[in-house]
Order: sequence, then C-alpha cells, then structure tokens
Amino acid sequence: MGYAAARGGLRAIRAAERLVRRLRRRSTSDDLTTDQIIDHFGLLVDRVMGEGGVWDPVMAASALRQAGGDPIEASHLMRSKRSTLSVLGIALADADDLRVLRRVVPAYRKPPGPQLLGASTDYTGRILERVVPREGLVDMAEPAGDRRDPPSDRSPTRLLEVLRQADLVVDRRRTDDPDPVDITRVAARPPAPRSARLSAMARAETGALVNQWYRNILGPDGYLHEITLGEVRHGWLDVAIAHPTSGRPVKVTGVRVTEVEAIEDLDGIDEDRGRLDVGYGLCLGHNEKKSIAMANLDIACHRDAGRSQLEQSLLLTTDGLEATGFLEHLKLPHYVTFRSIVERKAAVRAARTDR
Amino acid sequence: MSLIESLLEPEQDDLIMDAGATREIRRAILTAIAVPGYQVPFGSREMPVARGWGSGGLQVTMALIGSDDVVKVIDQGDDEGVNAVNLRRLITRASGAVETTEVSEATIVQTRHRVPEGGLEVGQILVLQVPEPEPLRGVERDVRELERMHAEADYSRMWVSLYEDRVRNGVITRTTGYPCMVGGRYVISTTPIPRWDVPLLHRSPFLSIFGAGRAKRIYAIPPDTDVEPMTFEDVPFEVEENRGAVCRRCGSDRSFLVATPSSTDGVDLWACSDTSWCNRRSGIDSP
Repeated sequence: MGYAAARGGLRAIRAAERLVRRLRRRSTSDDLTTDQIIDHFGLLVDRVMGEGGVWDPVMAASALRQAGGDPIEASHLMRSKRSTLSVLGIALADADDLRVLRRVVPAYRKPPGPQLLGASTDYTGRILERVVPREGLVDMAEPAGDRRDPPSDRSPTRLLEVLRQADLVVDRRRTDDPDPVDITRVAARPPAPRSARLSAMARAETGALVNQWYRNILGPDGYLHEITLGEVRHGWLDVAIAHPTSGRPVKVTGVRVTEVEAIEDLDGIDEDRGRLDVGYGLCLGHNEKKSIAMANLDIACHRDAGRSQLEQSLLLTTDGLEATGFLEHLKLPHYVTFRSIVERKAAVRAARTDR
Repeated sequence: MSLIESLLEPEQDDLIMDAGATREIRRAILTAIAVPGYQVPFGSREMPVARGWGSGGLQVTMALIGSDDVVKVIDQGDDEGVNAVNLRRLITRASGAVETTEVSEATIVQTRHRVPEGGLEVGQILVLQVPEPEPLRGVERDVRELERMHAEADYSRMWVSLYEDRVRNGVITRTTGYPCMVGGRYVISTTPIPRWDVPLLHRSPFLSIFGAGRAKRIYAIPPDTDVEPMTFEDVPFEVEENRGAVCRRCGSDRSFLVATPSSTDGVDLWACSDTSWCNRRSGIDSP
C-alpha cells in the first residue's frame, strides 16, 4: 500500500496465496479425498450444504477442503458458485413424503408410528476415543438377540396430524401464500411472510441460530417459551421439478433433511388457552440443533406478532456470511475514516478552548 | 448426462453472476436513478468477496460493465490497496474490461471510502461500496420504523441528534458517511467517504451509484442533483481541515491528506490519499 513500487498490492496478494498453498503442501499426509470428507465429516458437510443453501455433497466437500475446514468460508464458496448458476425451475417437495432414517417423538411414549433412534450419539457417553474406530473395538455386526425387523412405516403420520384430529391445535393453515418467498431474490425485511423467516433460518449459521434461541431464553431481551418437541425427523425427501414440456412433476433428486415440530403451550391472555400451537423447522442435511432452534423461534416469532424486534433479529442477524463478512471487513484499511475521526477530535478540543 | 446437467450452461471459472442477476440489478439501478437517494431493495447475490468487502459495489459494476469499458478501482483513494487489487482482477477477468489508474480514462470507477480528488466528468460512473446504507441507524434500530421515517421524510430525530451534538460538543462531531439530503427528499449515508468529498457529489456532472451488498440496497445520485449535508443555517458544514499540513510528495494542501505518524519525533507526515492524483501532480507516471 501507500507509495510502494508499482503493483505492490498485487505482489503482496500473490505472495500470501503462495504461502497458503505452501503451508498445505508441507504436510506429509495424503490429501483428503472428496469421498473421505463426505464419509468422515458427514455432519460438517451437511451443515455447509444447509448454510450454503445448496444440496451437493461433492461441492460441499470440495469447498470444505479448500476452506481448510472453516464451515462459513466453505458456505461462502458454495453460495458464490450458486450465484453463477441460472434458475432452471422451482423444486417441488412434500415433507409428508419424508422417509425417516431417524424419528423421535418426545411428546408421547408410544406415538403412532415408530420411535426410531437411528444413527445417534444422543445416549452415548462422551468419552474420547484415541484409536481409529476401524482398528479398535467397534464390532460392526449386530448381536443376534438385538436384531429386530426394521420398521415398515418409514413415513409415519406426523404428530401434528394426531393433535389436529384430537382438536388440540389452533388451525392456521392458509392458502393465500402458496409460493414461498425466495430470499436469494428478495431482500426480506420485517414484516415478512412466514416462508421468508423459515428460509432465512434454514440458511442461517447454526451457531447464530442456537445463540438466538438461547439469548431469548436467558438473555436480556425477549422471552422465549420452551416448547415440547413433537417430531424430530431425519430422512430422505424426494425433490421434483415441473417437466419443461408436460408440466408434470418429475423426480430429479433426493435430499436429506432434518424436520422438527415444536408444540407450544399457548398461555397468552389473548391466545386460545384450550389449544396448542406448533412451530416448524426444516433444514438441509442432518442438523438437529438448527432445526429445533428454528422450530422454537418460528412459533415464538408468530406469537410475538411484531411486538418486539425478534423478527428483525431472525431475518437480519443470523446469516453466517453477512455477520462474519462484516466483522472481518474491519481488517481492511480504514485510514481515511480514521483520519476523519482524529480530525474531529482536534475540532472538539479547539471548540472547548474557544468557550 | 442427467436432465439437469443437459440444461446447464457450460461452467466458466471466471463467471461472477448469471444473466438473471445482471438484469435484476440493472432494474434496481434504474429505479435508484429515477428516485434519487431512495434505497432500492434487491436480491443481493453472494460474490467471490465477503459481505462488507465490496460485494455491493462489485454487483453494481458487474451489472454495468462490458468488455469495451475501462475500469479504475480504488480503496482509500489508492489503486494499489490490496482490496482494490483483488476487486480489479476479479472485474477485469470476468468482464474483459481494460484497467486504468487514470481517472480521466475510466468509464467506471469503483471505490471504497473516497471520491477521486476533483470528481469525475460527464458520462463517467462512480460506483461506491457501502458497508451500511442506513443513515438513521444511529437514531433508530427498528427497520420497520426506519422505513416509515424515510417514507414520510420524517428526519426530525436526525435533526435533533445533530443539534444535541452541536450543543454538547461545540461542533458537529460526525466524521465520515455524513448524512445528506438528496434532491430535497431522501436522506442518505454518503458511505464512509470523508466530509471532504461530500461537496463533489453536489450537482455533480457524473452519476454515483451506491451498492450495499450485505444490506441488499442500491441507491443513486444522478448528475445535477442537489446533495446537501444536513446542517443548520448558522452552523456551516465543515470538511476535514488540513491545518497547515501539506503532502510531502506533491506539496498539496488542497486535497484529502492522510497521516503517517512518525515514530521518532512524533510529528505526522502527510500525503494525499488519492495516489493517482498525487502522482500526476508530482510528475510521476501512474503504474
């Protein structure tokens, strides 16, 4: 910068880029293959697909490798790639068709359909394993006595449906908002349709959304009611697009999603005290932290009805790229603004002595 | 080849955004020019640079630029600033446009934090990178209320804030991004350009477009538009004073100078922040 020789800035940048490459090359271990990243860091790959807003495990794994494992940087690579692609169609998917790999219903001991623990470490002691599992003690074979028939019902009736039949939930299904807001094309600001809030949360940075939830539980602003979880589901969802000529839906791919229903005990003076309400969370990949926070914040935002600035917090402060990009921009040169700040300090002092 | 793959365009590594984005951003720019100072919302795309690093300016430039354009990119007034260099290579690679450091040769000047000394001429476009477009953020946090205030031109709280500042401190202490009334209607934040640059925007011969990527807003000052800093009849608007300092290279005391603190005697050394302007004055060819 400043008055360095011609093209000094470019030289510095190229040197920095070389240094990054050299530090990686210094390693004597093999390069991580895309398959290894997908297989061994599955939850990280899922998180990057969710926050990047793109279902493409291979792209996410490549982005993670390039980003040195930083999920927000990897999401950035995904999203700026996405900006170069044209929209070919709008995906169609019905969450009722979700084929569950895992399903937990904390609200009932025996809900309709299976309680399916699936692949989960929820009830595994957090004890550090220092050996590579394959070399160690893990026996992959199932003990004979434990074997059960796999549950036949992979698309069980959702708990919300059961509660509806029992007339236990407020019915706020509506038909006047059929197409979800595409927040990548519309700058969503409060008051926004619910679909915009849900989309923003689905793409939100996981830690930011968890903090948003916890802040409203224990923080100085807002008050968030803890929900009872109705459904926590992880599974495969078919995605279709309308055929370009016939217009009929054609299945093009499947995505894994995490879906959550959060049952709210309505206790406001202006609310139906004889019924429950339900918040909804869904995001790409296996990410239960995010979906649970999302479902609880969805119903909290609905109940808040614009009284507080919760909706603004959800729409404008939870995006990982926006928050970290703005934070890190403070590293950029700011000597023009700083010069102006220092000049005003002198002006204030001069005004003081004049008085 | 799958159905989706057959429909996709062949991949290009240097592409920054698709044609749909270009069209959308051009529409937003036209609206911004038609309603000077109004913050036009747009579906800001993610760029190969982070939010807060010029993603808004980059989108505006990419929507306007063609291979027959000549582009100048500066950061803090310096063509060689690292972020300016990075943006310039992205822009020229993706558009095929020619780069320059001479402001008179440029059709588009993308900038962060400065207007080139002396401004631009008729037909040239200044694209400003905006970290925070909302001038009223300091007096109101709720975006719904902010929208109402702009819609009703209710800038009373801003006036009160400036008045209190003057009464408490003897001067208006606002530094960069000084709030200005555009075309007698909308108050804008003049990005963090110094107050020194604000008079250059008033009835300027050139078009200024402000791109805020993170906040998803574009606004503009068309040529020959009034840009009046918010101040009182008996409190003149003050730009940064040089207080006797002169540029150690070109000797100028009539340009925006930045300081290099001296570690030995504590006396600041001053130099023009607009390096290309300074080079021209001191007879050095720009790189």
